Amino acid sequence: MTTTTPYRSETRLARDGFAQLLRAEWTKFRTVRGWVIGMVVAALVTVLVGILGPVGSSFSCSGPNGQSCGSHTPPLGPDGEAVTDSLFLVHQPLAGDGSITVRVTSLTGRYLDAPGAPAGRGLQPWSKAGIMFKESTTRGSAYAAVMVTGANGVRMQHNYTGDTAGLPGEVSSTTPRWLRLTRSGDTITGYESADGTKWSVVGTVNLAGLPSTVEAGLFAASPGYTVTTESFGSASGSGGDTLATALFDHADLQGTKPRGTWTGDDIGGQGGGNSPVTGFQQSGDSFTVSGTGDIAPVVASRGSLSKTIENGLVGAFAGLIAIIVVATTFLTSEYRRGLIRTTLAASPRRGRVLAAKAVVIGSAAFVTGLVTAAIAVPIVEKLERDKGLYVFPVSAMTELRVVAGTGALLAVAAILALAVGTVLRRSAGAATVVIVAIVLPYVFAVASVLPSGASQWLLRLTPAAGFAILQSMPEYPQVAAAYTPADGYFPLGPWGGFAVLCGYAALALVLATFVLRRRDV
Amino acid sequence: MEATIEVTGLRKRFGPAVALDGMSFTVLPGRITGFVGPNGAGKSTTMRVILGLDAADEGKALIGGRPYRSLRHPLRHVGSLLDAAALQPSRTARNHLLWLAHSQGLGAKRVDEVVGQAGLETAIRRKAGGYSLGMRQRLGIAAALLGDPPVLMLDEPFNGMDPEGIVWMRGFLRSLAAQGRAVLVSSHLMGELQDTADQLVVVGRGKVIADTSVADLIATASGDRVTLRTTERTPAMTVLARVGATVAATGPATLTVSGLPAERVVALLGESGVPFSEVAAHRASLEEAYMELTRGAVEFRAATAEETAR
Amino acid sequence: MRPWWTSTAEALHVEWTKLRTTTGTIWLLFAVVALTVALSAASAAAVTCAGPGCDRDPAKVSLAGITVGQAAVAMLAVLAVSGEYSTGMIRVTFAAMPRRTTVLAAKAAVVSGLVLVAGTVAVLASVLAGLLILPGNGFTAENGYEALSLADGPVLRAAAGSVLYLVLIGLLSLGVAAVVRDAAAAIGIVLGLLYLFPIVASVVSDPEWYRRFQQIGPMSAGLAVQATVNLGSQPLDPWEGLGILAIWAAGALLAGGALLRLRDA
Repeated sequence: MTTTTPYRSETRLARDGFAQLLRAEWTKFRTVRGWVIGMVVAALVTVLVGILGPVGSSFSCSGPNGQSCGSHTPPLGPDGEAVTDSLFLVHQPLAGDGSITVRVTSLTGRYLDAPGAPAGRGLQPWSKAGIMFKESTTRGSAYAAVMVTGANGVRMQHNYTGDTAGLPGEVSSTTPRWLRLTRSGDTITGYESADGTKWSVVGTVNLAGLPSTVEAGLFAASPGYTVTTESFGSASGSGGDTLATALFDHADLQGTKPRGTWTGDDIGGQGGGNSPVTGFQQSGDSFTVSGTGDIAPVVASRGSLSKTIENGLVGAFAGLIAIIVVATTFLTSEYRRGLIRTTLAASPRRGRVLAAKAVVIGSAAFVTGLVTAAIAVPIVEKLERDKGLYVFPVSAMTELRVVAGTGALLAVAAILALAVGTVLRRSAGAATVVIVAIVLPYVFAVASVLPSGASQWLLRLTPAAGFAILQSMPEYPQVAAAYTPADGYFPLGPWGGFAVLCGYAALALVLATFVLRRRDV
Repeated sequence: MEATIEVTGLRKRFGPAVALDGMSFTVLPGRITGFVGPNGAGKSTTMRVILGLDAADEGKALIGGRPYRSLRHPLRHVGSLLDAAALQPSRTARNHLLWLAHSQGLGAKRVDEVVGQAGLETAIRRKAGGYSLGMRQRLGIAAALLGDPPVLMLDEPFNGMDPEGIVWMRGFLRSLAAQGRAVLVSSHLMGELQDTADQLVVVGRGKVIADTSVADLIATASGDRVTLRTTERTPAMTVLARVGATVAATGPATLTVSGLPAERVVALLGESGVPFSEVAAHRASLEEAYMELTRGAVEFRAATAEETAR
Repeated sequence: MRPWWTSTAEALHVEWTKLRTTTGTIWLLFAVVALTVALSAASAAAVTCAGPGCDRDPAKVSLAGITVGQAAVAMLAVLAVSGEYSTGMIRVTFAAMPRRTTVLAAKAAVVSGLVLVAGTVAVLASVLAGLLILPGNGFTAENGYEALSLADGPVLRAAAGSVLYLVLIGLLSLGVAAVVRDAAAAIGIVLGLLYLFPIVASVVSDPEWYRRFQQIGPMSAGLAVQATVNLGSQPLDPWEGLGILAIWAAGALLAGGALLRLRDA
């Protein structure tokens, strides 16, 4: 037997690191043309489907009342969100600090001008009457108010979105409610009392930049009612206006009163102050005020002429399907060809291989989604505006969350698909499972295939909850609306829904790592 | 680190089928070790266990004294070719090598070097899906060489190669061994290893039947037999049997004689006047030696069982 | 030359054997039934009718599970084609049977037969679930609903149509798989095609466009066959809708057949 000098390589050893694994997986990904094409397809279908929305939408600018398109444009509140600001306000200027106190003894309601209106008293849960300090009578101006409501007790509300609960219970002559609002600089405090002697604070708000002279007054408003008829394939709503009438007494305005007399204004009313049903009567310190409308943020609803920004991303589901196909194949193709052995022989630490794959496919999907949304959202928004549709303004942060959220949605879905592919090893099965789990509940909900109760539950329990990250409009408890996924509202909210999807992905990844480590390949 | 493969007492079952039943052997540097046995004898399973792809129920497989899974840049220690068809068909051959290089912290320069060594320069930018089996084997060799490893482990590298390719592969493997690398080459056809291997590990039914140098094996199989060519078979047999030799007719004009040296055969036939055309010391082919060795060890039941389990 | 029917019968027999001996097949057929019935029952349990004129379609409610069962049908059909491509067995198949369109036709027949059986079981079980669950949710005679009965013309049409719907989805998937060959891509295209139209229809506010999308989408049109109430207000006549889906399926099969002939295996 001969003795031999064992071979020694001249090649310098590089550092061992996760980075090189990432680089290897990235090289793998980018060198298969089908996968790169899949990503481009994902972006294209998302944008194209998004464009179909405004292209397939048209409406006549002159409605039955001869309204112009401009009247679809709601005013913006102090924080920039779209609001409705319709109420009947009996007011006079108040200079500097001061307070207003009143007792409410009755709040009643009725349906207006509706032949198809349902029977009943017409008082809505969020019909409201009370006292307020308001920057001006301009719609959308800043305000703070304490009020009694139809079914939600005493509330203190400010600037359309703020809402704090006070005493529960309905108001009546036997259970009257005393309300007080005081101003001290920019700070406004709301009080309530059952008897006018024992007062408690409902809430304190800071209205920065409030002018020194504000309008102080008594108001009544009542949001319109809707009856949603739902059947498979469509949900249609009908509704109309309601009127709330409140009885006030012991009205007392303290402070500097430049004018000293009360005037009534139907703010935001369709017929201005001429509307025969709204108005007020004064008798000493007693007032009867009747108003219609609401002081609240606008909520989105499908079929209305107002669109949310995520309307441009309705095609995201199609992009998601393409991404899922690519992500499952990214792994299952290695099993199919036996290439997984080469991969794991080159990198025996299997958990890290899976992690590197997840990072690569997740990043690719994220970038695809980000770019897609950054293109689709402005294009669709422009097309909608050109069609005369109104697009709800949202804050830059929200817009960023929606655009980046599209990327995040695709990324997490891709990682879920990768993990399911690892466990099942077959591309067809893995792709079907993931598409059905993520996209099908979304289709059910958005296309009203299932009744909304069932689809709401699906959007809580399935990975489809992740679509919530695209939701741009918040839900407001003080505004009664359907809040269905088809309207753009998800049952869990943006981050809650996204967390559900992340949970599924994490679970699948843990299972995939476990299985991959234990399995012979 | 010593450039060796050490396998000790590997056992593995796939369900009821025993794939490895106490497999033990060592591959030494500077030599080509043939790893031979019938289909299903456990060659590929052993290689997968060595590479950490399959987990053995019992026993150890070490590369240079360390388990494969503990290696940080495994391809710098062992280059392997398990299945030449394990390629993403739509990826070019060069990109296949490139990702593999990246996974070991190597760059494109190293890829170009191994492509040259494997003689693939002209076809390297084509999609791997269009490669013939012979070209895939070359691509697999290139991949195994990426990390410039001291140990190489190749499963059936001659499969699908044309005669020219087989000659190239033999020379190439010899040169790798000459550099001091340990080379383990599996095959189920002994002929392929005839002029290649220095050492043979013969396996059957999941364990080693023989672990010997090729020269020793052939010598043992050849024994002290003499091949005799004559047209007068019967008189020759009578003459030779009379002095106690064992004579067997192995052809219409050929006899194989055992128990007598060649000179005695020539002398005896000359004395008796029996004509003959050739007397030569018998040299067994590797194939023959192998058949001798594995007779009875070939276990087709085990083979089919393992195939089903995979 | 042997008569054509001999080779066709052979092809049928071969494809039947292949599909029968694939382990996934029986599980997928089971999944078709289980998914359909589970979602149908859940849907029936989730829908309530508060009073007269609640405008629900009990047949449609009871057969809602078809929308998820079709995914398993699509997978079964796609795998019948793509499974052979992924293993390279398609070359063996075409070597044994050079008439490729005959192979595709045989696959279509076998897949249709299996889906017909599984679909019938799924639909009957779904109707039964609806029959048991719906009366408890207000679908009673007082509210204007009779118990679901297959003797009722529209209900029978909805049930039989749902089975045919699944068969046509299978054929559509088979055709798509023959075109794109890769299983995951085929699944993605089929499901995308099914889901695309209902979603797009939901975002367009022009009623004309809405109708149009509902009319041309394979899923929305095909499921029109399930409607048993308010037939006048549906975008499509029930059988017409199934016809639209049949056109989709025929188109996919023709494209798949043509590509099989033109392309190297």
